[in-house]
Amino acid sequence: MTGEASKAQDIFQDTLREAAFLAAKGEPPANRYWFFREARWRCLDVVAHGVQPEQRANESTEVSPQAPEQIEQLEPEQLAIWISAAPEPQRSGLALYYLDEFNYREMMSILGLKLNELSRALASGRREFQAWLNATVPAAARE
Amino acid sequence: MKRLSRGLRTLADCAPIANTKAPDRRMRTAVSRAKRIEGFAAQQSFDRAVAKLVQATPVTPEIQEWFANEKMAEGAKRNWRKTAFHPAILAIGIALVVIAVVAWIKFDEQMHAFPGTATAKKLLNVAAMTRPSEFEPVQTEAGTLNDLFFMKYRLEHYDVPREFSRQQTIGVRVFDDDEAGQVAQIGLAEKRMQLFLFPGRRDSKTGKPEEFEGWRYIEQEGWTGAVQARKGVLFMAAVRGPKKDLAPYLSKPKE
Repeated sequence: MTGEASKAQDIFQDTLREAAFLAAKGEPPANRYWFFREARWRCLDVVAHGVQPEQRANESTEVSPQAPEQIEQLEPEQLAIWISAAPEPQRSGLALYYLDEFNYREMMSILGLKLNELSRALASGRREFQAWLNATVPAAARE
Repeated sequence: MKRLSRGLRTLADCAPIANTKAPDRRMRTAVSRAKRIEGFAAQQSFDRAVAKLVQATPVTPEIQEWFANEKMAEGAKRNWRKTAFHPAILAIGIALVVIAVVAWIKFDEQMHAFPGTATAKKLLNVAAMTRPSEFEPVQTEAGTLNDLFFMKYRLEHYDVPREFSRQQTIGVRVFDDDEAGQVAQIGLAEKRMQLFLFPGRRDSKTGKPEEFEGWRYIEQEGWTGAVQARKGVLFMAAVRGPKKDLAPYLSKPKE
């Protein structure tokens, strides 16, 4: 989400420090989602004060049956860069969704979104990523 | 082509990447219906491919080290003591105890209630407010007063029970009460006790007096009364003090 491993490491450590501080005060985090919520807010804060990604064109297209072959040709870093440049809350939604560790209720809780907001973020994310894929890996798209 | 309802479409957009992970019935329904819709299979293939790419993201040993003690970050579990002393739980507990105590008091009152309880309590207040000078002086044994009540006031069956019949009186009075009717009040020399005789409550349908067996105690503002019903008349012995001050008179009937 931050686009930089060092910033992510700082956020990770700050989050753990905050959890330890709360635990020392006798108010430890109630569940593991607290860590994700806290880390996300810290990420958003860091991103807001850092270099902003270029506004990309909001082109979108329906998900193609050929998408898996197109995605296979990508490097993981390309996907990470694309997601980190997405606007909030789409960026956080896509990041959590494709980690494949949370169900939709847990994502709603972590992101503080309603179901229709989460659904919209994921659906538009897919379509926009497909459009970017078609532009980036056109050969595969035409197969 | 079939279409999904808006609600199911919303859920299907968030469908779990692995089919086995649907957290609830609504999601399982949405996924099951969406599978019949063109485009959902493409969405799932798309999601699986992206998730696979995410899983393939190389993780440096440095970052792997962060999660070496992943369980360290689990939320602390509350033990029963901590849960019990949580302010909300404590407040609910106290409230339940208060409700239980009030309910028990009410239940206990109902258990000890008898026909004429309200009147008897009212007469306990009368006993507390009556001064000896308000009595018509009569010094005799309480058991002999039934003739006086009958001859002078036409009060039938206003008999003092044998438990108190040998007690020396200091005076009597008869008065009308709105609720109780004609009340005979006797002042005793012993412990400044007072005796009351008044009509018992009558059944509204049959007109027969509602009676009960044995002695019943009532307490009001430091006064205690022992009440007995006989032949449609209630007798109450009242004393300033606790129940134990009256108990000896009731357990050992004086001959």
